[in-house]
Amino acid sequence: MSEPDKSGLTVRRLWTRNLVIWAALMALLLLSLVSAYIPMGRITTASGIVIAIAKSMLVVLLFMELASARPLIRLAAMAGLVFLAAMFALTLSDILARL
Amino acid sequence: MSDETAMLREPWVDFSRQREAGKFGIWVFLASETLFFGALMLTYSVCRIEHPAAFAAAGRETNIWYGTINTAVLLTSSLTIAVAAQGAESYARLRRLVIACLVVTALLGLAFIVIKGFEYKEDMDKHLVPGAGFALPERAAQLFFGFYWLVTSVHAIHLSIGIALVGRLVWVLLRRELPVTENPEIEVTALYWHLVDIVWIFLYPLIYLPGRSS
Repeated sequence: MSEPDKSGLTVRRLWTRNLVIWAALMALLLLSLVSAYIPMGRITTASGIVIAIAKSMLVVLLFMELASARPLIRLAAMAGLVFLAAMFALTLSDILARL
Repeated sequence: MSDETAMLREPWVDFSRQREAGKFGIWVFLASETLFFGALMLTYSVCRIEHPAAFAAAGRETNIWYGTINTAVLLTSSLTIAVAAQGAESYARLRRLVIACLVVTALLGLAFIVIKGFEYKEDMDKHLVPGAGFALPERAAQLFFGFYWLVTSVHAIHLSIGIALVGRLVWVLLRRELPVTENPEIEVTALYWHLVDIVWIFLYPLIYLPGRSS
């Protein structure tokens, strides 16, 4: 008798947790759409990128559960980002210095 | 226990080690994918820094509604596959919920491809393919659309692979070839799906938002 109750509770908790994240993602999508039409020069461009970073953080940390993952998994995820940062930093330091 | 034996593969002797290795493996693969798409986005950034006006003019030519709706579709598919993966991890025996969420995820992925197809059709009608007869006078706008066609098609290929993987999961789960509870294949497929979503999250401001405020 207690089995369906327990699974019902789990299902509700599952949806509540993930729907909140989804709603935040949708709000951020709307925010980036609106801010793209506000003329703020470079800040307009930056806002699109910053909101994209915020959205991907929500997906990586909560949907992909990196926030609660073991250190080895976090290290693997960080490795890609570290090399990506190196690639961007080295390339852009050259390009921006030549403008 | 019999569930775990059914899912145990060579060369692992222990199911929990197999799960851990599978998860580690997909994260290493995702890190390499990050670098692959990151290199493309860096190329875009360099071109945009050198030709800001042409990139703004080119960005205005993209259809923001197709782009925004498709972003919402992919974000929603990430929700359904997250519920499927987390449901499979719980012990509450949520077989029907997990399979239903996987089906919805695959359908949302297909919806994305169909919407993208309509968008490609419109882009071709507007002569936005780089080369002879290109619609915009700015030469560097062709760089933007070179990036657009390359990166959106590579993304669509990734998504198609994702749809095939999710479809296969639905097939084997429905036929009860593999159990749902604690099935590592669901988790690994979900992680891949989320990365394809994240790539699109970054493509959205790069492709659809430039030049809207000017």
